[in-house]
Amino acid sequence: MHELELKQLWQSTNEKLEENFVIHKKNTEDLTQVKVQSLLGSMKPIKIFALLVGFLWVGIGGYALSSIYLNSFAEANKFFLFSASIQVGLTAVALYVYVYQLIRIYGVDVTDPIIKTQEILSNLKMSTLWVTRILFLQLPVWTTFWWNETMLTDWTLFQWILPVTVTALFTYASIWLFMNIKYENRNEKWFQLLFNGIEWAPLMKSLELLEQVEEYKEQNTIN
Amino acid sequence: MKKQDQRQLFERIIEQHKGILFKVARAYCPDDEDRQDLIQEMMIQIWQSIHKYNDQYKISTWLYRVSLNVAISFYRKSSTRAKKFTELNDQKAEALVNDKSEKEKHLIILEQFISELKEIDKALMLLYLEDKSHTEIAEIIGISVSNVGTKIGRIKGQLRTRFSQFKS
Repeated sequence: MHELELKQLWQSTNEKLEENFVIHKKNTEDLTQVKVQSLLGSMKPIKIFALLVGFLWVGIGGYALSSIYLNSFAEANKFFLFSASIQVGLTAVALYVYVYQLIRIYGVDVTDPIIKTQEILSNLKMSTLWVTRILFLQLPVWTTFWWNETMLTDWTLFQWILPVTVTALFTYASIWLFMNIKYENRNEKWFQLLFNGIEWAPLMKSLELLEQVEEYKEQNTIN
Repeated sequence: MKKQDQRQLFERIIEQHKGILFKVARAYCPDDEDRQDLIQEMMIQIWQSIHKYNDQYKISTWLYRVSLNVAISFYRKSSTRAKKFTELNDQKAEALVNDKSEKEKHLIILEQFISELKEIDKALMLLYLEDKSHTEIAEIIGISVSNVGTKIGRIKGQLRTRFSQFKS
């Protein structure tokens, strides 16, 4: 089919369909009364709930740990204290990255050219990978918080084999995941398996979009 | 710009250029109900960004930027539904092509081809079919004019192959 005919066919079909497309003046007027939605207002309730739980966890955890450091450090179980401190600290960092990402996404300018806006949005969405990487780093401390000082003195080498092996495996896994969860590995099977599921769909879509953006930018430099 | 002027500009833009919103929404959102939500979201974003509009660009250029950016972001959220649509569309196209006029068959093939394009290629194809100049397409997408030419050439090549496959 000729190029011109194709354009005419497309345009005339749209014109016909558009005839039935009505936006009532009342709707347009109503929209102008809508106040600019706040960041919290634009978020899904489940995300607000998750954030709230995160803040409570870090807040209460931080407060409890600080009082142990200040008031009863000498008597405290150091394994628990340091494990919990690392866990709460990493959760706080992840929370910070997440909130920063939400604020930046909220402020993205949709009047900019497509490539610019979509690159910023996809990169920000990709920072979700950072949150996941940081949270995976917590893995080993979940295996050490129950250790205590008497174990050091009373346990035999044989008794130590299992906990140390588990901790070593968790440490290896967490460092490996921290190093390897990145954009470059998006096509690896393990990566797609890890980020499989409806809740990860926007992230995976962002990865695809970023590939498209890069392809366009690359072509820009060639031309 | 005063609030009253913003309101008037917004109402004028929607009244005169609602076709742009419709076309973009139709290309990115096959489901009727979702399309209504998408158009609503586009209108909200246009209203919330109206103070940023300056006459350096044509209104249509500015409007295409906003509506395409909103549509691509919306599509990102509902990619699962979009995939389902593509599968359904395949079956629908096969069934429909057999008993239609030549023009209708071409339209079905074209629409299916567009639905399968990647998001940014889809934006480019949409603007090309709307007869936008390469300069305006470059301003909307944010790439060089020569890149627009190269990309459109490639997409047209794929479309030609699709049509020749259909004929054979």
